[in-house]
Amino acid sequence: MDELIKLIRTYRLTAGLAERIRLAEEIFRLIEPDLRFFVFSSVTHHAAQDALQEVLKAVATGMKKFEGGTAKEFWAWCYRIARNKLNDYYRSKAADRMQPTPPEEMWQLIEASAQDAPISAAVRHDLEYAMKLLTSSKPECYDFLWRHFIIGLDYGDIAEERDMSYDGVRMKIGRCLDEAKSLVS
Amino acid sequence: MAELPQKDQLALHEFSVRYRAALAKQHQTPEQSLDTVRDAVREQYEQEQEAKRSPSVEPPSPTPEREPEEPEP
Repeated sequence: MDELIKLIRTYRLTAGLAERIRLAEEIFRLIEPDLRFFVFSSVTHHAAQDALQEVLKAVATGMKKFEGGTAKEFWAWCYRIARNKLNDYYRSKAADRMQPTPPEEMWQLIEASAQDAPISAAVRHDLEYAMKLLTSSKPECYDFLWRHFIIGLDYGDIAEERDMSYDGVRMKIGRCLDEAKSLVS
Repeated sequence: MAELPQKDQLALHEFSVRYRAALAKQHQTPEQSLDTVRDAVREQYEQEQEAKRSPSVEPPSPTPEREPEEPEP
């Protein structure tokens, strides 16, 4: 069984506070980076830290009631909580809704993190191509491509988020990618 | 046969991996996040203990919870 789901099952059955905290720490060491990525990709960076703490608190509080049995169900549940919390956040602070991160900012971040291991010419070429695909897309398409390819949400997650059908999302992403390719070439 | 990922999808995947790594590196110590989690778990635990100490008064059930015992022969 997946390590994450084992920890969550154990957490649900644990009564003592110290043991619960220990398990929660283990669980969040595994899931925090992905939740951080999701939040930091959805809200402007100066607001993201507060929003992330709200999401973490909601997930930690709700974990005892999570009823699913697989890691996939757990992730879908986490992202649903994160989306709801971010929607609450948007309502109270509309100005913090994410604007597409400027390409220069993404590059700076990637370059800075690659100082110890320089990016090869081939990888650099791929990254530049990916950036062009994203930045040449129309805003709506950018959002679909970003959520699917960069955040890693599957068609089903996006369908739920957008109240669309699975096939509708699949076709939309395909069209957006084709359009971006034609604009880049 | 499964469709092979195309050049553009591989490039986007590479970008995702690099961007995630960069963000993770920028925020290496999630101590603030762990503090939030510990506080949330502690708060929930205290609420549970409080609920155990003062259980809500429920109206009497119209039917007895246990079957009446059979009379001794």
